[in-house]
Amino acid sequence: MSLLTLISDQRYLQHDTGGEPHPEIPERLHTIHQALEASSYFSDLNRVHPRIAEREWLLAAHDESWLFRFEEEVLSGKTYIDHVDNQIGYESYTIAMLAAGAGLTAIDLLEDNDADNVFCLVRPPGHHAEAKTPFGFCFFNNCVVAARYWQRKYNKKRILIFDFDAHHGNGIQSAFEEEYDTFYISIHEHPSFSYPGTGYADDKGIGEGKGTILNLPLQPGGDDKQVMELLEKVVSPQLEEWRPDALVIAAGFDAHAADDMSGLQYSTEIYNNIGMTIQSWAQQYTEGKILSILEGGYELSVLGESVEAYVSGLLGKR
Amino acid sequence: MYISRHMTTDPLTVHPSMLLPEARALLNDYHFRHLPVVDEHGVLVGMLTDRDLRSAYPSSVLSDSESRLVYERVEKTEVSEIMSPDCVSLTPDSTLDDALFMFDRDQMGAMPVVEDGQVVGIFSIRDLTAAYKLSFGVGEKGAVLIGLEDDGSKTIMTRIVTFLEKEEIPFSRVLRIRSKTDGDGIYLRINTFKIAAVLALLEDNGFTVKRFT
Repeated sequence: MSLLTLISDQRYLQHDTGGEPHPEIPERLHTIHQALEASSYFSDLNRVHPRIAEREWLLAAHDESWLFRFEEEVLSGKTYIDHVDNQIGYESYTIAMLAAGAGLTAIDLLEDNDADNVFCLVRPPGHHAEAKTPFGFCFFNNCVVAARYWQRKYNKKRILIFDFDAHHGNGIQSAFEEEYDTFYISIHEHPSFSYPGTGYADDKGIGEGKGTILNLPLQPGGDDKQVMELLEKVVSPQLEEWRPDALVIAAGFDAHAADDMSGLQYSTEIYNNIGMTIQSWAQQYTEGKILSILEGGYELSVLGESVEAYVSGLLGKR
Repeated sequence: MYISRHMTTDPLTVHPSMLLPEARALLNDYHFRHLPVVDEHGVLVGMLTDRDLRSAYPSSVLSDSESRLVYERVEKTEVSEIMSPDCVSLTPDSTLDDALFMFDRDQMGAMPVVEDGQVVGIFSIRDLTAAYKLSFGVGEKGAVLIGLEDDGSKTIMTRIVTFLEKEEIPFSRVLRIRSKTDGDGIYLRINTFKIAAVLALLEDNGFTVKRFT
């Protein structure tokens, strides 16, 4: 079996956000691919194309009214939906379905034992998307669609999503917060200072889901040391206690010091440590299986090396 | 900003002649802490709180025989004997600010809302925090707070708002705060993911951004 499987597709470049100054641009994937191609282990990686997510699975995370509205807005030639941040082009609906489909392709590979460690390099990202609303460059919640597929098709009930993007994944929290058999852990910049203004430490889940949301906000300036401390002292013990059946990683790289989409100050190297830590969780709880899905990360000068550092960490390499 | 928009309407009320065990069961069953007490005409005559009830019931340090005596007495006690008869109340057209001042002054957890002598609602500290959360947009999805230095000029508020509108930056609140401890500042709740771009644009236009790092 290959060390790690990358799921990506040229068609992801066709989601047109109008180019700069919009930060969520196709060049993000270019720079990531370049960095991975330059790595010593690139030839050992398996590369697979995603499928388009079937409507049934999109509806497992989204309201049908949103699917109709998204498709109509795109076809009518609109340039954004609801907010100028959410730029769209003519292909965006299809490409968003292809982004949501990557997780499904990945889960089939993981469940058929054709892969242990899969990283979906997709755009548009997903963790801000709500059941009926786009938010913050996100249209379909790729992580939530994947979680539902894993639960319903393969009976992996206890899904844990760990999100290390600089921003809180409001869409994942909304989907999970009333459930006892899903868990969402997010380390992000404090919501008073950062988009999307959600993810307060006090939000811990609702009703049956009480205790299944763990928000770990960092003050602006939060750095490697604070992240590692949280991983060791808070996140790892929480996994030990909850013991997930499956791990989905919302992998965002915009907490890097050079990325001005947040005030967090991570180094490139921290992504290697995060990858290593996640790998150790997978060994303990999920028979080594990990599904990572790309979220944010916008500073092109460091995005490639950050992703490469993370992938190295997943492979157990320093 | 009026209480009528934020209160709980048609609250559960009790009659002054209700016996304490029944009142206690109501508070426990509904997880309430406050019950307005009204007479047969629906007129407010007092407030009963879980604290009043706790004080009426026997203390855990009493001996069994002493406890039993207190229990026997409590079971025959009417609400009217332990309620606070001279409680303060709001009206539906009281403002959130009125309520804030009253909570601050009297340190209670909830107040009845009275109109034409009748109890029409109850307004708690929780309702107040929820109302202010809504007013200030705390936890509103897609909104972020940013701070600007206040140069003290008479036109700075106009300049900020004009700038935001001209640049088509969605915003919902502009708050000028004068504080001896924190210093003066102007706080904006803007609705965009591209915060860094907005901050840079603000600085290019002569505003000083408060950096929290």
